[in-house]
Amino acid sequence: MTAVPCFHCHEPVLTGSRFTAVLAEQTQHFCCAGCQAVAETIFENGLSDYYQFRTESALKVSAMPEHLLAELASYDHPDVLADISRQHEQLTDIELSISGMSCAACAWLIEKKLKQQPHISSANINASTQRALIRFDSQTLPLSHILKLINTLGYQASPFVADNEEHVFKQELNRYLKRLAVSGILTMQVMMLAFALYFGEYTGIDASHEGYLRWISMLLTIPVVIYAAKPFVISAWRSTKARQMNMDVPVTLALYYTFFASSYATVFQTGEVYFESVCMFTFLLQLGKFFEFRARAQAREATSNLLKIMPVTATLMTEQGPQSTSARRLQAGDLILVKAGETLAADGVVHEGSSSVDESMLTGEYRPITKTLGDTVLAGSVNHDGLLTINVTTPLAHSRLGQIIQLQQQTLSQKPKLVEKTDKLAKYFVERLLVIAVVTFALWYFWWNPDRAFWVTLSVLVATCPCALSLATPTAITCALARLNRRGILIKNAQALETLPDISHIIFDKTGTLTEGKFSVSRVIPLHEIQDDAAMLNLIANLERYSEHPIARAFLPYFTHALALENIQVKIGAGISADWQGQHIRVGSAAFCEITPVSEAMVYLRMGEQPMAAIQLEDKLRPEVPLLIKTLQQQGYQLGMLTGDHSSQAEYVSNQLRLNFMVKGCSPEQKVAEIQSVIAKGAKVLMLGDGINDSPGFNASHVSVAVHSGTDLSKNQADVVLLQPDIGLVAQLLQGGNTTARVIKQNLGWSVGYNLIIIPLAVAGFVSPYIAVIGMSFSSLLVVSNSLRLLKK
Amino acid sequence: MSIIYVLIPIAILFVAIGLCIFFWAVRTKQFDDLEKEGFSILFDEDNKPSAKQPTKESTKPNDH
Repeated sequence: MTAVPCFHCHEPVLTGSRFTAVLAEQTQHFCCAGCQAVAETIFENGLSDYYQFRTESALKVSAMPEHLLAELASYDHPDVLADISRQHEQLTDIELSISGMSCAACAWLIEKKLKQQPHISSANINASTQRALIRFDSQTLPLSHILKLINTLGYQASPFVADNEEHVFKQELNRYLKRLAVSGILTMQVMMLAFALYFGEYTGIDASHEGYLRWISMLLTIPVVIYAAKPFVISAWRSTKARQMNMDVPVTLALYYTFFASSYATVFQTGEVYFESVCMFTFLLQLGKFFEFRARAQAREATSNLLKIMPVTATLMTEQGPQSTSARRLQAGDLILVKAGETLAADGVVHEGSSSVDESMLTGEYRPITKTLGDTVLAGSVNHDGLLTINVTTPLAHSRLGQIIQLQQQTLSQKPKLVEKTDKLAKYFVERLLVIAVVTFALWYFWWNPDRAFWVTLSVLVATCPCALSLATPTAITCALARLNRRGILIKNAQALETLPDISHIIFDKTGTLTEGKFSVSRVIPLHEIQDDAAMLNLIANLERYSEHPIARAFLPYFTHALALENIQVKIGAGISADWQGQHIRVGSAAFCEITPVSEAMVYLRMGEQPMAAIQLEDKLRPEVPLLIKTLQQQGYQLGMLTGDHSSQAEYVSNQLRLNFMVKGCSPEQKVAEIQSVIAKGAKVLMLGDGINDSPGFNASHVSVAVHSGTDLSKNQADVVLLQPDIGLVAQLLQGGNTTARVIKQNLGWSVGYNLIIIPLAVAGFVSPYIAVIGMSFSSLLVVSNSLRLLKK
Repeated sequence: MSIIYVLIPIAILFVAIGLCIFFWAVRTKQFDDLEKEGFSILFDEDNKPSAKQPTKESTKPNDH
């Protein structure tokens, strides 16, 4: 079989010439009807440039089922629309989250298509956050129509409500950018003038020229100290008020003392000026803060998709028939209808129907659970295959899902406090420095030489200016963040990096973290003579294609070619039957196939009257896990596993990996309790997880890591997010933490040592202000270049 | 050297203009999505179709 790539998604075409279209006078092959339809739409709208400029191939288009398309109309209900959009005069503003975007060309494609519509006044697609901001006339153009339009291009859009906090983040990021520009651009100007002054010092300069250059420098420095350095001043003020000196106190003191001394020197034409030091210092510190903040803001934007978890709409059964309504408005006692593929909008009891339900959102376990009449169901779980009518017992806000989200917010304030080592050092340092400066001034003023008192004190402050000290940690951390980010590790909380070297215990979640979180075929047990395993698995895969059940996906890799099946019937929660080559074939549970159950086997095959095979499925360990565990054990970490799984697989995994401890069947509350009991024994804990059920535990541990495939909520909560599907990155993260700690130690060692030598000299008046500046600049440069080494490794 | 009394203020004026432009760019959200904007220059030339993939521009013109 020749593997022609699909024109749209570049996946191999397995269907021969079944899906072809003549586009731009060339015949193109497609893998499926979905890709073909999308490509045709794109060409019909004159947007074919997309294919020319895209840098990534598109994702395979899975056509939206008819009933889901019809369901989009529920968003048009005025109540629902009001909950998810904002009104701007006559027009409606809405934010959509779009999935399926692979590169910037996708953003362009959607934007063009939307702008062709007369009732959309503006559309802005952000490729990095995968969000769309659309302003449209909801009177003439229903929202469902916009969602359908985006769907015809092969993307899925769903309404999204950004939380308030995110808005604040965005504004703050813009402020950071502006401050960075002000300090950066003005530093360049002041440096330029400073060079003129340096040379003037040696070759001679007119007093009038010198005065002029100083005045200009002062003028250019004013915006830097007033605008760009404002965050340091505010933070220093807050910490002084709370009697908890942080690093910003000496920074602010040094900045302002130096600035005012230089201004004094300028106005009265005496002494020295240090405007360039003030500017450069501000710029370097701002740069570090900006990078840290941007990493946090990006992580937030990309992951704070809470609305995808919280269902928006529900179908309410009323006397007039089914009616769509906003999920938040459901009351206890309401009857709601949940179709296959929908998310449950409230906790309740099954009133009618049966289906298998995926509760992985709440328990972290992927094994679907069969629900029939009278069973309790939970909001946030996904209905797989059947039609359910549910009697609401608890509205969304008080549901189990709501409780977990609340629990997580509570634990947030209980987060173990990270001792900020540099801040502690700063406090110690600042207090002594201030005492020394005051003593110096008093000594010179009252006993030695009153005229020199001011300038000697200045040189003490400049020479000891905590530049190197305050740059020591931030520069090292900024460089480490950048390096780890390149490797696919996003660190949202820079303090986590400082805590990493102290970690003693690492706690893993099982499903989805250590394992792949999906079923795969582990063993085929023949019940009859089978000639060809591959052909049999292909037969099962052919039948399972008709099922939406997650177990069916395990057989997808075994699908080699299509067989001519007839009379296909899907029995929900049981199995699939079909006729093939004159035989009646059944695939499904033991009862459905009328075969005596074999231990651990989940899928059975029966051909005619003959039982053929039982198939064991398992959630396989990720391939990189054994090596990771071995490495971590060699490095002396205590490893543990907390899982919501009750089954024997938990023990199997734990024994196989030889973990130090394991607790199975944990609820989110138990996970928190387990972690807290470990912490109570004095351990520092790193937790690795993926689900909503892990996120309260995230807040209880010192450092939390969310894996690539984790839910948005868990990524939102975690200190560290792995950007690649490889949990082996954890070893690199820990190693990165250790290297960073070493560099910070070197930096602090140097700057403290330098200060110890220079202070006595400065107090004695041997250090002229110029030497003080050179010493300060040199030690700052040393610290920065030492930190830069972190980038290269 | 008295020329510096004229040239430096002019230089400062340019710096001020530059900063104003930067502030304006931040305010109009030009830094929000650096990925897509890099592509916009490629796409806006879609009025002259390339030889490889002639488009059906004539039937449905794009609005800008």
